[in-house]
Amino acid sequence: MMSVPFFGCTLAILAVWAGRRWIAVALWALSLIALGVLYRLHATDTLPLAF
Amino acid sequence: MSADVSRALNIAGLFAVSAILLVAFWDQFANAELPCPLCLLQRAGFVCAAMGLALNIRFGPRPSHYGIVILSSLVGATAAVRQVLLHVAPNTGAYGEALFGLHFYTWAFVVFAAMVAGSAVMLLFDRQFEPPRPAGLPRLGTAALALAGLLALGNGVSTVLECGGGLCPDNPAGYELLDPAAPVPAPEPAG
Repeated sequence: MMSVPFFGCTLAILAVWAGRRWIAVALWALSLIALGVLYRLHATDTLPLAF
Repeated sequence: MSADVSRALNIAGLFAVSAILLVAFWDQFANAELPCPLCLLQRAGFVCAAMGLALNIRFGPRPSHYGIVILSSLVGATAAVRQVLLHVAPNTGAYGEALFGLHFYTWAFVVFAAMVAGSAVMLLFDRQFEPPRPAGLPRLGTAALALAGLLALGNGVSTVLECGGGLCPDNPAGYELLDPAAPVPAPEPAG
């Protein structure tokens, strides 16, 4: 699951090289959304900060 | 700034992002420092930001491509800032060794901030967006794309080997798919 953004962007770079701009942008967008979801899943502990 | 100059700067930027990912790989394999989940998210942030540069190189500079760099950098910086804040208070330890006095997640935040600022500066120059857009793909641009693509793929494979198909452990001790019997890491001492 953690590898989704990497593979998504790999495919996006292939799409860039192949000249498929909209496919590349769509794959990037999906990868970024996956990145955000993964961050949300991992950022669960309270930060050890007290002011 | 002409479109050709802009493209050259984007190629240099893509090589620079690739260099960052190479340094991360060097630390992982030469120093045996496995990337934690937040580390992987920051690497993914760099890969996503590289997409904007790749699009500028292949299709010519567009404001939307710089927007891709900025948005990706903001997400990556969020992961970096969280990791900084996890360790900024006294007696909270750190993750990994320092490089030139700063830990990797601090350097990541610095670089993400620089990428946002750099994109903002590039957006100041309107002439690069005027037609005609540069045609074709220069040889150096192809090399930059190939290197970025290989690093994105390599990070994906490395992540699968380390974490399998699920989420990654907070303190990874080994590659899950290569050594399923890897010892469970000891919890970090409190206080």
